[in-house]
Amino acid sequence: MGQISLRSVCRTYASEAFSLTVLDAADLDIPDNAFAVICGPSGSGKSTLLNMIGALDRPDSGTITISGTDIATLNEKQLAKFRNETIGFVFQSFHLLPVLTAVENVAWPLYFQGVKRRERMEIAREKLALVGLSEHANKLPGKLSGGQRQRVAIARALVCNPRIILADEPTANLDRKTAQGVLDLISDLNAHHGVSFLCATHDNLVVEHARQIISLSEGKLHMQEVLNLSEVAQHA
Amino acid sequence: MLDLFYIAALNIFRNARRSTITILSIAVGCCALTCFGAFINFTFEGLRETTIRTQLGHMQIYAEGYWEKHVSDPASVMIHDVSTLETALEGIEGVSTVTHRVSFSGIGTTGQASVNMSVTGVDPLREMDFADFEIVVKGRNLLPGDTQVGVIGDELAKGLEAQIGDWVTVMTTSLDGMLNAVDFEIVGIVRTGSTEYDSVFAKVPSDLVQTVMDTTAVERVVVMLDNTADLPAQRPEIDATIAALPEAYETRQWNELAGFYEAVVSLYNGLFRIFSGIVAVVVMFSVANTMTMAVFERMGESGALRAIGATQGTTMQMFLNEGLFIGLLGGTVGVILSLLISWGIEMIGGIPMPPPPSMSQGYQAFLLMTPAVLAKGFVVSVAAALVSSIYPAWAASRVNIVEALQKPC
Ligand SMILES: Nc1ncnc2c1ncn2[C@@H]1O[C@H](COP(=O)(O)OP(=O)(O)OP(=O)(O)O)[C@@H](O)[C@H]1O
Ligand SMILES: [Mg+2]
Repeated sequence: MGQISLRSVCRTYASEAFSLTVLDAADLDIPDNAFAVICGPSGSGKSTLLNMIGALDRPDSGTITISGTDIATLNEKQLAKFRNETIGFVFQSFHLLPVLTAVENVAWPLYFQGVKRRERMEIAREKLALVGLSEHANKLPGKLSGGQRQRVAIARALVCNPRIILADEPTANLDRKTAQGVLDLISDLNAHHGVSFLCATHDNLVVEHARQIISLSEGKLHMQEVLNLSEVAQHA
Repeated sequence: MLDLFYIAALNIFRNARRSTITILSIAVGCCALTCFGAFINFTFEGLRETTIRTQLGHMQIYAEGYWEKHVSDPASVMIHDVSTLETALEGIEGVSTVTHRVSFSGIGTTGQASVNMSVTGVDPLREMDFADFEIVVKGRNLLPGDTQVGVIGDELAKGLEAQIGDWVTVMTTSLDGMLNAVDFEIVGIVRTGSTEYDSVFAKVPSDLVQTVMDTTAVERVVVMLDNTADLPAQRPEIDATIAALPEAYETRQWNELAGFYEAVVSLYNGLFRIFSGIVAVVVMFSVANTMTMAVFERMGESGALRAIGATQGTTMQMFLNEGLFIGLLGGTVGVILSLLISWGIEMIGGIPMPPPPSMSQGYQAFLLMTPAVLAKGFVVSVAAALVSSIYPAWAASRVNIVEALQKPC
């Protein structure tokens, strides 16, 4: 059983007119320290899958186990702690708090762990430096470009040192150079700090870094181990 | 905790115009409440001081058993050793006047008409302090050294068809039941502030009353203090002084005697409560509206906060803080506004008011802003703001995270 494990997970969106089954008794095992991408056409259920793994949404049936914990057994407080400590989210449309500066946004998840403001801001500045945004630390999100906001969101996802980062189209708003930078950063965290990375994407640049490719079709999940092309390139 | 307040403050200033309108509407509500309360305070104080200084004094002292027997056997419940009692009371610090009263009811006439009247015998010298609140319409008030003269209420003067200089004869009985009569010359026509009291009121030197009642005793001794507020503090000393004297006495404080005052106070307090309720409802609508809009607009943020580790409780707390903050700001502005208004009214010399029911004179109204009334207005505003934030905050904390995240931030 992997770090992330799904057993017979079903998820159906039902309305009066029709019902749409996004996941149909899907099984999945993602190993520790994975670098996995979820591929599938638009509307196939990539975001739905990420939301369930991140405990934002519940499956209709089946179990999802993260690092040995069945997340269905967690109560509301434990879920909040789980989302805060174990998972780092990068949302499709950033979702930064517009009243807080970049560095305050990055620091905020640490508030829920009771970290003091000064210490929080220090850690946040380090993470912002990692994504190359040190000069923009005190700007409000409204004053940043889409790519810069995306990087703030990534820094925020990293700030609690999560075991798993879930990202929904993390490079969609980035130029190639920045995207490459972000991917290098993630690869480094993945390679040297044991952080698992699971992302929904259409971006070939991301797919090239992946070691696992999960395809989602007709409600079933298929995982395929692949050779990491960039690692191959490095060794060549 | 402080960090949550910081975010709440940022969020309030983010939609500055809407917040300003909400804060102002709370401020106006709070201000209306404090001004109404302050006006009531002013009215209470005026009524209290009028009652105390024209009629009751702060305390009255009677012979023991007076309240039981003054109707059936008035002769048995008179104070005989008046001067010892008065001297003892005058020695207490903070006591401004000690005087005695002796009164009777009788039928008065000037030859034209006969009317029922209530004659109070006073010591004109000691009574000088009480005269303040009687308004002399014609002639003069009693003066030290007066003997066979008196002042009467203006309504009584009309009833008697009497003028200054006319002689009034009052028929009554002496203490031991003999029919008796007394004459006095009218030297003044006065108003006490109460039309009803004015229609029976007559005041003469106490010697004259003692003569007609055939006694040297008095019915009651009235004590007036410099300051009404000091009464609770001075009461024990007064009681102790009285208890040490040979004669046995009983006492009544002014508020036990002033049924009218108590009735007015409870009426106005009732009005104040109703008004507080109305203000609270207005504030609640305003704040609930603002908070509901804020919650809807920030759906995406609430979802994101939950996704990065906020519990439902924390999310609710964040919105409650905002409501609390708006309430605190509104209440503070309201208190400042009330102080400015009361200061402004002070500057223009008061607002002229028509005579209240059963009173004969209009007056200048001021606002008596006490800490208590300001605190009430403030607390009502803040509490209303907080209460009306509960539901929106609760709703924000229960959003479906995935749906909320679909909304933009
Ligand atoms: N709340 C909802 N109610 C009904 N249907 C929904 C809801 N959310 C998603 N769906 C449907 O479920 C399917 C999967 O949605 P999802 O957002 O997971 O797709 P996706 O793979 O992330 O797509 P994209 O690549 O465009 O982001 C879609 O067909 C979508 O229409
Ligand atoms: Mg999606």
